[in-house]
Formats: sequence, C-alpha cells, structure tokens
Amino acid sequence: MLSTLLTAASLLLVPTLAVFADEAWNVDYHFALLGAPKEETSFFHQPNPSSRASLIYTLSEQHALGAVNPRDGSLVWRQLLSSDGIAYRNSFLRAGEGQDVVISGVGHEVAAWSAADGRLVWSLSTEGPLEDVEILELSDGKETAGAKDAIALSSGANPTVQRIDGASGAVKWQFIIDGSDAPYQLSASSTQIFAILIHKTILGYVKLRVVVLDRVTGHKVDEYSLSSENELSTTENIVSVGANSASPMIAWTDSLYTTLKVNVVGMKSMQSFDIASHDDSPIEHVKVHAPYHVNSLSHFLVHYQTATSHWADVFHINLKNGKVEKAYSLPKLAGRGAFSTSTSDANVYFTRVTRDEITTVSSASHGVLGRWPLNTFGVVAGIGEQVEPIHAASEVSVKGDTVSAIRTTILLSTGDWVMLRDGKGIWNRPEMLASTMVVTFALPADAAALVQQLEVEAHSNPVAAYAHRVQRHLADLQRLPSIIVSLPQQIVKGFLGTSADDLTASDTFGFRQVIVCATREGRLVALDAGSPDKIVWNVNVADLQPGQSWEPYLASRIAGVVEVSSRAGAGIQYNATNGQPLAERLPVVPEGPQVPSSQVVLYTVHDGTLEASYNRTPAWAFTPMHGERLIDMVPRPVNDPVASIGKVLGDRRVLYKYLDSNIALLVTAQDSMGTANIYVLSTVSGAIIYSNVHTGVDLTIPIASIMSENWFAYSFTNEASDEASKGHQLVVGELFESLVPDDRGMMGATTNFSGMQTATEPFVLTQTYQIPEVISKLAVTRTRQGITSRQLLAVLPDSNGIVGIPYGAVDPRRPVNRDPTKDEQAEGLVRYTAVLEFDPKWFLNHQREIVGVKNVFTSPALIESTSLVFAYGLDIFGTRLSPSFSFDILGKDFNKLQMLATVAALAVATFIVAPLVMRKQVDQRWRFL
Amino acid sequence: MALTLPAPPPRWLEDLSSGPVTTKTKQSFPDPLGYQVASRQQKSSSNKMIAQPRKQPTAEEMDTLKLKKAWELALAPAKQLPMNAIGMYMTGNSLQIFSIMMVFMLFKGPIQAVLNIQNTFQRLETDTNRQQMLAVKAAFVGCNLLALALGIWKVNGMGLLPTTRSDWLAWESAREPLERAYFVPT
Repeated sequence: MLSTLLTAASLLLVPTLAVFADEAWNVDYHFALLGAPKEETSFFHQPNPSSRASLIYTLSEQHALGAVNPRDGSLVWRQLLSSDGIAYRNSFLRAGEGQDVVISGVGHEVAAWSAADGRLVWSLSTEGPLEDVEILELSDGKETAGAKDAIALSSGANPTVQRIDGASGAVKWQFIIDGSDAPYQLSASSTQIFAILIHKTILGYVKLRVVVLDRVTGHKVDEYSLSSENELSTTENIVSVGANSASPMIAWTDSLYTTLKVNVVGMKSMQSFDIASHDDSPIEHVKVHAPYHVNSLSHFLVHYQTATSHWADVFHINLKNGKVEKAYSLPKLAGRGAFSTSTSDANVYFTRVTRDEITTVSSASHGVLGRWPLNTFGVVAGIGEQVEPIHAASEVSVKGDTVSAIRTTILLSTGDWVMLRDGKGIWNRPEMLASTMVVTFALPADAAALVQQLEVEAHSNPVAAYAHRVQRHLADLQRLPSIIVSLPQQIVKGFLGTSADDLTASDTFGFRQVIVCATREGRLVALDAGSPDKIVWNVNVADLQPGQSWEPYLASRIAGVVEVSSRAGAGIQYNATNGQPLAERLPVVPEGPQVPSSQVVLYTVHDGTLEASYNRTPAWAFTPMHGERLIDMVPRPVNDPVASIGKVLGDRRVLYKYLDSNIALLVTAQDSMGTANIYVLSTVSGAIIYSNVHTGVDLTIPIASIMSENWFAYSFTNEASDEASKGHQLVVGELFESLVPDDRGMMGATTNFSGMQTATEPFVLTQTYQIPEVISKLAVTRTRQGITSRQLLAVLPDSNGIVGIPYGAVDPRRPVNRDPTKDEQAEGLVRYTAVLEFDPKWFLNHQREIVGVKNVFTSPALIESTSLVFAYGLDIFGTRLSPSFSFDILGKDFNKLQMLATVAALAVATFIVAPLVMRKQVDQRWRFL
Repeated sequence: MALTLPAPPPRWLEDLSSGPVTTKTKQSFPDPLGYQVASRQQKSSSNKMIAQPRKQPTAEEMDTLKLKKAWELALAPAKQLPMNAIGMYMTGNSLQIFSIMMVFMLFKGPIQAVLNIQNTFQRLETDTNRQQMLAVKAAFVGCNLLALALGIWKVNGMGLLPTTRSDWLAWESAREPLERAYFVPT
C-alpha cells in the first residue's frame, strides 16, 4: 500500500522537476565546431589499432584539434591548441600507422594525444617555431615498444632536428643545423632522415639544401644541394616534399607552371616533366597527392587546377633506380576538383571529387573502380553559386576489383564540411561559422511588417490607432480561409506541444530572428534563431583572394534588411529572410532614434586616440597619457531603452539614474606600471565624468568591460603582490543623478540638456567582487522596453562556459558590513560579500562545453520578458533568456491538456447539473414556509 | 375561601378560538393559490391586544424616542470602528485576496451608508425633530468618515496611495540630450 502511494507521489513529482531540464536542450542550441579543416592535417585513422572503426582527425585553421565520428559527424573530442587566438603559420598533425596516439605540432609545442579520448600523452616545447613534425614509421629497434618515435624540425636562431621518444616525449638526440638556411621540411627513409632547407642565393633564387642524418645517432651523414638553377624563385613553387612514403620525393615547378621537376630524396638527380596545358586559362596551382604509408606503392598523383578546370597525372617511382615515370592521366573536367589518397594494404587509390561525381581509380591503372554521381552536396549556397570541393579525404573499402564502399569528407567552397558515403550526404558540419567575425540579428521580413504596424499603432492617438487596428484585422481576415484549412493541424500540434518546431507558423514572440554571421572567408551565413539546426542562407559577399582579409560591419537598421559594409564604407543591403541583395546603397552615418535636433557628434578610434567631430570639425580628442594604450572602448548602446528613470527604494522614494545616451567606458593600460585606467567619458563633450585606476594588474589577461543603461562593469586580474594574492575581480559601477533620494540633481526637472553647455557629473557607486575565474568578455541582456531586469553575461574561457549573473547579485548598493534594513530587503539587496561565487544555476551552457567564445551578442525578442543570446568565436551557442522569468508567455510547463480537461470537465458537469438545479428551483417555488 | 376556580370554558368556545387544527405534516398537497391562513394571525393579534393593553405615547414622547433611536443609529458605525481597526491590523499590509476583500468591504460600507442616509433616518424623522435630526445625520456622516479614514489608513499601509515620488515616476521622463554622439567603427 505504502509503495503504491510512493509511486503515485513520485509520478506527481517528476513533471515539476523536469521544468529546467525541459528548457535546457530545447531553448538553446550549440554547434561544437573545429573550424575549417586543413587538407594536410585531416585524415581517417583508427584510434584503436585492433579495431577497424576509424575516426576523422583534423587540425583546423583555428588550431582546434579534434576527432569526428564519421557516422554522424559528432565531435568525439576536441583540444584547442591556441587559446589566445594567435594564428601560427604552420601546424602539423601526424598519426603513425597502428598507433593509438596522434601527434600535433603547433607553434613551439609538439604534443601527443590519445587518439581515442584526446587526453594529452606528452608534450614538448621546442626552442624555435616548428617547421615540421614527422613520425618515424619504420622501426629501427631503438623505440620503446609499441610507440613510434617522432622527429621535429624547428627554426629560429638554432635550427634543430630532434628525435622524440614516442612513449615519453623525451628527446633522444638533437642536431643543430649550421648555416643561415631556413629549415623547410623533414623526410625520412628506413635508415636516414633528410632535413630540407631553403638556401637563398645572391640572385634571389631558392636552392634546396638537403642534410642527411643518421636515424639512430643523429649524426650528419651527408649534405648536398639540389641544383634547381634559377627555376625556384619562391618556396611557393615547391609543390611537395614527400615524407613517410616508400620513396619520398621533392617536386617543384617553375613560376609559370610549365615544367614539373621531381627529385627522389636521397638521389641527387632529378627528372623534369612538361605540364601540358589543356586550357586557355593558366594553371593556378599544382598539388601532389602521395600515399602516407611506407609500405604502400610509391605512386603519386599531380593535380593541376586552373580557374575553370582541373586534371591530374599519376606517376610511378621505380624504387630500384629512382626513376620516375608518368603512368597515366586523368582527363580534364570542368570546375574545381579535389583528390584524396587512400591505401588498402599496399595498393593506392586516388579518389577524385568534382562538382557532380566521385570516382575512384587505382594508382596502378586508370580503370575506374567506382563512380558515384553527385546531385548536390546538400548545403545551402548563394543563388547561382557553384558549390566546389576544396579538398577531400577518403576511406575506401575494396572488395576484389571494385570499391565496395567509400566515405569521403569534403570541405566545400561554402565552408561546410560534408561527409558523403557512396555519393550520398551523411552529415554536414557548418565549419564556416567557426570563423565568425561579426553578427547581427534581423527580424524576418514578415515579422518586420507586423512590428511596423504595431509601432504605427503605438505612436498615434487612440482613435486612429483603433481604426488602424480594425483595418489591420480586416486585412487579416483575408487570410481566414487558409487559416481555417490549417486549423485542425495546428490544434493537433498545439496539443502535442510541437508548435515551436513549425517553420511556417508566424512568429508573434520574435524568437525566430535571423542571425547573420559574417565569416573571415568573406561569406554571410544566416541562421534562424528559432530553428538553428539548419542554415537559412549562405552567400559570398566579399570575393576574397588568398591572403586578403576584410573587416565587416553588420547592421540591421531597417527591420527585415541586413546591411553589410567593410571598413565604414557604403554598405550593401541584403534581405534578411532569403539573403537576396537589395539594390540600394546606404549612407554611412548611423540613423539613431529621433533626436530633437540633428546635432550629431561622430567619434572614432584612430591610432589609439579617440577623436570626435561635430559638424565636420574636430570637437574633442581623448589621448591616453604617455605610455598608456587603449584596450577597449564600450559606448552605451545606441538603442538602449530604459523603462524607469529611477530606482525605487524600499520606502518608495526614488534614486534617479544618470541616463545619458552619450557616455562610453574606456579602458586603458600602462604596461610599464601594470596599471589599468577606467574612464567614463561624455562622448558629446569629451569630459571625463568618472575615472578609476587599478594598480598591479596583470595586463596579459584580457580586461572585459561593458556599459549599459546607467551602469558599467569590468573585470581584470590582479597580479600577486605582497599584500594581495593573484585574483580576478569584477567591478560594477552605477551612475546616479544624486545620491539623495527624490532629488534629480543639479539640473532638476529640465526636459532636455546640451552635453556641451552643461557639465554634470554623476554620483557613482562602485563595488568590487572577487570572482573565481577570468572573464574574457562581458555582455548584457537586452529587452524590448528595458522593463525586465538585466543579466550580466560573462564568458569564462577557463571553464568553457557562459555565466549569466543577475544584476541584483552585483548591485553596488548592497549594504557593506551590515545586514540590510527592512527597506533594503524589500528592494532585494543582500549584504555585500567580497567573494562572488558563480552559482551553478547561472551557467547558461549547463552541460555543454562552449569553447573559444570571442563575443556574445544579445538582441531583444518581440516580447518584453525575453532576450536572445548568441555567442560566437569557435563554437556557436545561442539561447533565450528571461532574467525576470517569463512573465508574459506561458512556459512549457504549462499543461494545456490539463487546462482543456478542466474546462471540458466543468462543461460536462454543468450540463449534468443544470436539469437538477432547474428541478430543484421549480420545487422551491411550490414550497412555502 | 369563597374563591373557587372558575369553571372551564365550554368546548364550543375553545373550538371557536382555536380554530381547526391543521397539521402541516399530514398535508401532502399544497394549499390552493390565494389561500391565506388568516385565523392564526387573527388569533395572535387578539392575544396581543389582550396581553398588552397600553396607551399610545404622546407626540413629544415619540419624538424623544425617535431621536434616541436615531442617535443610536448614528453612532453605530463608531462602535464598530475599534473592531474594524483590530481586524485591519490583523490582516497585515500584504496584498492578498483576503485583505483586499476586507478593505473593499471597509470602503463599501461607509460609502453606501452615507448614500442611503435619507432612507436610514426617514422612519425616525418627523416635522418637529427635523432640526435635531440634522445634527444626528452629521454625526452619522462623521462616524462613517471615520470608518473611511480607517480604510484610507489601511490602504496607505498597504502602499496603495500614490503619495510618494515613486508613484509618479512613470510620468517623469528622462532628459533628452540635444546632441547625439555615434561611434563610427574604423
């Protein structure tokens, strides 16, 4: 009996407890990204030598090392090798055959990672930057059993070759290369190690110098130069230096791509092949694809790419005499092509991916072993844009003479990384979002129209507004037939609670905003905040050549339209719903809300100083003191609605906020003194209205700052000193017109003021909190009318999270050294404690790990309670926040079924009881006394 | 001992005065429309007349009586005040359905009483005591005002009176800056 009661009780409990877990994975979304994979560092590899299941390993351009499950594209593990965002020129990722570790080389660090779970096995720092890392495939009996040794080549003052023990990471020997030649690459054969260096001749040409080392001792055995004569002018023409193949070779071309020269490493002779031009357009680049296994056939493929077409030649190396022979050619095909090499035992297979098919050939003959037509890559691209493969990696399984199955991962020109199995798309990872630079939210065009209508109603007199609303509703009536048709479906969906998934449903809450991201590759990618799993559109806006960069600036000043511009130039507008460019061009000056007069001060950061101009004449400049540098400048947001101009105290008096739209927070640093200066400027007059200095600041750690409404916040890290230990601090300051309640300060109740003529200074309350970890970026929630309380969003790079701190928890008015009075309690103020622990409930990411977040963007939804949050950097994370809880919308915990059941039960009860009551009333009539 | 008990009245007299015995329990059918049980009223009035033979008071006496009664009526709200005050104190200043209802009743009572003042004193008002009645009515209004004051005190305690600056904050607007500064990213 008791047990049944308990079960019943637990059944009642479960739904109430599930409210948060329910919201957690529905409201928020997360893309765990790696960044665009690099061709040389992306491959299939078995994490466990005994099993045949392989993972895809990649070291991306963002220096994120990760393993991806080829079955569903999910991330198995991930390590960020450069957390501070430094872009290293070289990065290497090697996996030895049959090894359970992968070895990475980024910057100065060689590290081995467990292939199955990504744990660090060992790491080693080199003196100079790494130029190459290889694995010694052939055993010479000197290794620890089971682990293959690695060799690393580093440049710098003393170019060094090091042999690293594969099990412990200890250096076995090192050889310092003399001379001033720049180290280029490493190559190894079964007995020798070849260090290839670049020697610059007096004439400006490049010669290849090869230093031959003994594998076991590391002593120099031989040294020779390849007489490349005057063909090589830059290292860019070196096509390939093979390593770890049965016979490594060096290939280069002349600058016009007319001849290909091949040298088998270890031989001093070279062979040259003419490159036949198939096309009018010149060859853009030449790539060599060779197997990366010592016991596979020594065949290689040379891939020629022009602007419009591509073709390839396959060469064989005769191992006995080192002769290179051209075996066959793969025909020219239009568009870009990607080749990948796979091996099966000793056999080598080349897979060719073009726009419309995948073909696999054996390296031995040109017969096609498998052909899979491609209709589409299944990615979203701009209208009329041809999606091209950039590079690919394949895994083939061969049965007899045919390829029975093939898995190919392809990086596409749209930035998507897709997996095709036998020519059919399996998954696609939007890796282009990992290089998001700026972001904006835009309302979709249909929602924008509604917002416009509502605004018209809000700003006209009641009668006109009523007439307008009636007209609008009459216009809406035209849609009635279609609504009636879809009504049963909607009712069913409403019952099942799946209405949020419906893309066609109109978005009255403003949750389905379009998030437009500008990526470093010059693309605009749009996501739907309501259904973020798929990309809405993806267009190339800046046709960037390799080596070019852009500084995009995104804005959505008109609802439904996104405007992109680079470097404060005239922008191009795009339709937010479908990404179509609009014809008009816009002036640069931001159009703010209506101001009584059009007196506009424009200010900009120029050479580390803040310069402002008024009516095209310089107005003021803020130059940091000598030795100071400007770290950050945060103006108060242009569109920052504030519902209440004062803070209501517990005794119902008012503390008036200092609300000036024209203020900005400046953070400067003096590196020699280790001080950080904080200024609040009036951006109209340039006057400093508040300043503070913090000494003993660790300036290598980012200082995050934010300004909103009438308050600012910043965080910094204290250097350890005699009186204080190292710690992270968060400072919150609030600006008031007066600290006396019910007083509006000097200006009294004047309705307008000129920042240039009247100088007012706010009264500032600040409070410092000790926080447990570094904050790399601060943001704040924004709502439509500013009624909802605020949450301070802090990016925590060390715990890979974002924390949403309620403003009340860091309110500078928290009473210090005493308990709050009754009035203060009524305000929700609690006693000040110096240490602010991040409550686990504040973490927006809950169980997710958000890696490499650079910035957080917030946008108001159409309903007041909710703010949309979008974090980007490496990972993409978005959620909806209701800092004052969802007071204007029914949550998911609202039981529709229960409500309807109650109504139905009441209706039934009414029908049953009505005749009874009627009879009773009649009876009463007949009964006197 | 010449006094002897009078002989019991004859049976016909008893029957005449008591009327027919109608037992309600036995009656299974309703009385017909318009039928009045007149006999009982007759009987009771006749009984009263017999029991209380009283002479009519004079007009002056009547006036004094009425005035007395009127004063009683007028001061009744004041007598309720302490109890109301205790009740209000007990309910606390929080905004709950119970205290809101009580406060509503507290306001409704006096206002209704003042509006119905003519009805209340109509029965007691005569042409001769009209002058005195004015004072009574004034006292009545005053007492009700006291009750209203209690209500206002209560509402104030609940924080519902717009007496402070914060209540008018929504009508105050932020100062508009004449200039606007915009950051232009380079």
